[in-house]
Amino acid sequence: MRRVSSAGFFLLPASLLILFFFLLPVAATLLLSMTDLSTATFSRPSWVGMGNYLDLLRSRWTGLILKNTAQYVLLVLLFNVGMGLFLAITTSLLPDRLGDSIRAVWLVPRITPPVVYILIWQAMLSEAPYGLLSTLTGTSRNWLSGFPWHAVILANGLIGASLGMLIFTSAIHTIPPDLFYAAAIDGATTWQTIRRVVLPLLRWPIMFVTAYQTLSLLTSFEYILLLTDGGPGLYTTEVWALSAYHLAFSNYYGNARFGLGAAMAAVLVIIGIVVSVAYLRGFRFRELVQEPRVEVT
Amino acid sequence: MRWFALMMLILALLWIVPVGAQQTIRLTAWTIGPEEASRTRATNLVEAAQRLNKALEEEKAPYRVSVETSFETTNWDTHRRRILLAFQSGKAPDIVQAAHIDVAPWSDAGYIIPLDPYLDKYPSFKDVIPTLWNAVKYKGKIWGVPQDTEARPFYFNKELLGKLGWSAADIAALPRMIREGKFTWQDVLKVGKEAVDRGVVARGYGYWHRPVRGPDFYHFYYNFGGRLQDPRTGQLIFTQAAALEMFRFFDEMAAQGVTRRDLIGTPWPIWHRTITDGRVLFWSAGTWSWAEWATQYVKDRGGYEYLWPRFGFALQPASAPGRKPITLSQPMAYMVWSGSRQKDLAVRLLSFVLTPELDTKHAVGSAHLAVLKSTTKYGPYVKDRFLRQVTYMLNYTTFQPVHPRFGQYDEIFFRALSAVEAGRVRPEEAVRIVADELRATLRDQVIIE
Repeated sequence: MRRVSSAGFFLLPASLLILFFFLLPVAATLLLSMTDLSTATFSRPSWVGMGNYLDLLRSRWTGLILKNTAQYVLLVLLFNVGMGLFLAITTSLLPDRLGDSIRAVWLVPRITPPVVYILIWQAMLSEAPYGLLSTLTGTSRNWLSGFPWHAVILANGLIGASLGMLIFTSAIHTIPPDLFYAAAIDGATTWQTIRRVVLPLLRWPIMFVTAYQTLSLLTSFEYILLLTDGGPGLYTTEVWALSAYHLAFSNYYGNARFGLGAAMAAVLVIIGIVVSVAYLRGFRFRELVQEPRVEVT
Repeated sequence: MRWFALMMLILALLWIVPVGAQQTIRLTAWTIGPEEASRTRATNLVEAAQRLNKALEEEKAPYRVSVETSFETTNWDTHRRRILLAFQSGKAPDIVQAAHIDVAPWSDAGYIIPLDPYLDKYPSFKDVIPTLWNAVKYKGKIWGVPQDTEARPFYFNKELLGKLGWSAADIAALPRMIREGKFTWQDVLKVGKEAVDRGVVARGYGYWHRPVRGPDFYHFYYNFGGRLQDPRTGQLIFTQAAALEMFRFFDEMAAQGVTRRDLIGTPWPIWHRTITDGRVLFWSAGTWSWAEWATQYVKDRGGYEYLWPRFGFALQPASAPGRKPITLSQPMAYMVWSGSRQKDLAVRLLSFVLTPELDTKHAVGSAHLAVLKSTTKYGPYVKDRFLRQVTYMLNYTTFQPVHPRFGQYDEIFFRALSAVEAGRVRPEEAVRIVADELRATLRDQVIIE
């Protein structure tokens, strides 16, 4: 009994946080999503039940926005994890001072305010004589309109790669040096050492970064908003979270539709929960947190 | 000792109860340019407060007014979002300035108050140009005090036309030709293509429209015969034939290399710089752009003196021979928040901003047009070279509909148009998409004709 109450005591702060910052907002979102709440109906919203969800099902853009979201998450994730891993391994092979300097440079996009970061991208991708890329290639064009997806993935990926780089680098530094000595004595090449020693030991950090970044990317849209605003044209780079934002908060001509935006947010919550459970199972999370079978004293 | 005690008592009483102390009532107002030249939308309110205070002094009123303003210079989206969140959280300013079309959703939501009870109370309201009251009218009530209006001219680069062989007389006659319907969008296409073919401008630099979502696209739609609102029922209208003709024209302009397929999405500063650097032959912008270029983009090259010999302006040409030239206005208005504790005072302050002096100060400084009948006869306004030459455009002007769901209409209309121009969708398919989408989202609020 005492054990249960002390466990409850320690769980209380986290439980309250989950209650106030996850469960209650989700409940409020679900409630909102069943109303027609908008700017014009703010003082007298009506209950529409599943009406907003049916509108989403009927919309010709839902499929495209879902496809865009999957494409965005998958490609940026591949870039983030792949580039993070590449940077961590290559900079770890370099002398410490040089490796640290390169990693510091890769942190610049992450610590740059998003608006400034996107302004730099826009300046690079504009037509001549303003755009760097147009000047370098000798082809004057608005590269952002021509290649919106390339820009979205690179702009997001260059930021995301730094997180993986830091986590993988610290994980590589925790690998006992004996393993590298043993590999060297056995005559392993650098590639073989990476393949047979480093990568297997980075399994958990890779899984963590993959899971964390997937969920972050599902809900992130600020760089797309600033870069392409979901365009050009008909929802070309519109992702689910951006669409919810557009419906609920972005209103060039006034009428923000909070109810429909909340329905989109609710769908995103469900997708997030499904993906989380899939990762927990797929990555065998129980094995990660179980007590070690061998105790070293 | 008794005298000393009495003196102290009197002093203490004076300190505790300041006899005849004046109360200062603070009003707040949020305004937007976003162009810097329109800052008078905020500063005129401060000057109006000074005039109001003089009146209060004469009336021996026990209070005075101060105004705290904010002026948005980023974009409309930010401004509207900020106001909306402030309305919803009950922390909005007493006065907000926005476009006339905003009165529809904001009045439906109960965020702003109708001003009809005040119209007869203050004489300056009677001086407002009557059509501008119509622009802020919704469901039979007046919801805003007109702040300014404008026209959206078609601009041309005189030097580039000269390089094409146009004489000075030809160039000077262009505004008249357009006004008389003798130079149409078909001619813009023809001359623009000639300029590209002869290397006078780069491919895609023959004609530029605004690079982001906004009202300008509807003067094309109107020009091609489109209708936006049923005056009888208030429903929105989508005229498929007009939209198809317009979308085909945009596609043609891009296909012929007169305009750029990737124009939409160009950042505003680059758009303005390219034009003021003299690299575009024709373009559409606002009257306020004239002041924006002079005070921001060519300020170090002589400002207005730089603009006059190089750039000219006219009405938006007719879409084809036999049709009429056009322009579009989006009047601005001050509105009063329904949660304000000083509604009467806020409206009274707005009555003091409606003077020919302040109206002219804003119009001349920002190249907007007057809202008062008396301003149009006021010396400094009449003498202004630019305003004198663009005021006639108001006789050709059109407005966007005041309807709470026009934002949804515009969302799909603009996205479809930008997809056509980018070459991603054929005009016929784009019109079908817009019609289907409008039917699905606006249902009985829209008529597809």
